[in-house]
Amino acid sequence: MSQDVNVECSAMLAGISAYLDGDLDATECQAIERHCRDCPRCAAVVEGLRETIGLCREAGSTPLPEPVRQRARASIERLLASEKPSET
Amino acid sequence: MVNPSAREGAGPVYAELVREAAGGDRDAMERLLMRAQEVAYRFSLLVCGHPQDAEDVMQDALLKTYRYVSRIKEPEAFRTWLYTTVQNACRMKRRRHVGEPSHQISIEQGATSGDGEAGPVEVEGHTRPADQLVMDAWLSGRLRQALRALPPSYRMIVVLREMEGLSTREVAGVAGISEANVKTRLHRARVMLRQALEGV
Repeated sequence: MSQDVNVECSAMLAGISAYLDGDLDATECQAIERHCRDCPRCAAVVEGLRETIGLCREAGSTPLPEPVRQRARASIERLLASEKPSET
Repeated sequence: MVNPSAREGAGPVYAELVREAAGGDRDAMERLLMRAQEVAYRFSLLVCGHPQDAEDVMQDALLKTYRYVSRIKEPEAFRTWLYTTVQNACRMKRRRHVGEPSHQISIEQGATSGDGEAGPVEVEGHTRPADQLVMDAWLSGRLRQALRALPPSYRMIVVLREMEGLSTREVAGVAGISEANVKTRLHRARVMLRQALEGV
């Protein structure tokens, strides 16, 4: 019995990223959600990965430090000024 | 304000910017060049782990993007081209550092002493000290440390997919691997990242 559970957990964990990315169909999603209701360990793994992805996306949404942006803007101005066609 | 790159579906936004810039729209050109430098900065720090290279890689991205726009053929391919270009610039930059240690360093840590313990590394003169504080505020030390625990190829997949918001296809194009391989590596990387975060 426990071996069946392990096989089921392994199958669930293999598809967990596809589940979190929304790549599974409704039937497959329901199977994972049903399994997680009965398996606290797998439920914890799903929640942990969800948090990890959220942390990364939050970090990716953070703008760069302002001093870095200022230097980037200055570089752009220098480049565009140097490439500006002569008006004479 | 948020990082405009880190959005699913940002590819078409980039393509439109490229078209407008190529058509002579100065504002679009400025925004495109700013994004190119932002990508270069984040990639240098998060994927390559070499903050001292960031400014040079930004400059490279700036110039190459400017030239790219003048001979644009496929605006839709711009984002993949940009990340590939930045990745190559990081590699070339490393090759020029003859005599430097081959291991990676990060903002606050990286020099490995004889006893194997990672210690602080002196980066003054490369990154401005004042920036250090804002960079620390920019990205949590916990996440940076967890990212460093990943193999470089996995770190790149996580950064491109989760933080930069590239599609699986775009990541495959930049990494030079199949989409199936991207998904496999992404899954493993997420699991490793989670474990690293729990250990921090």
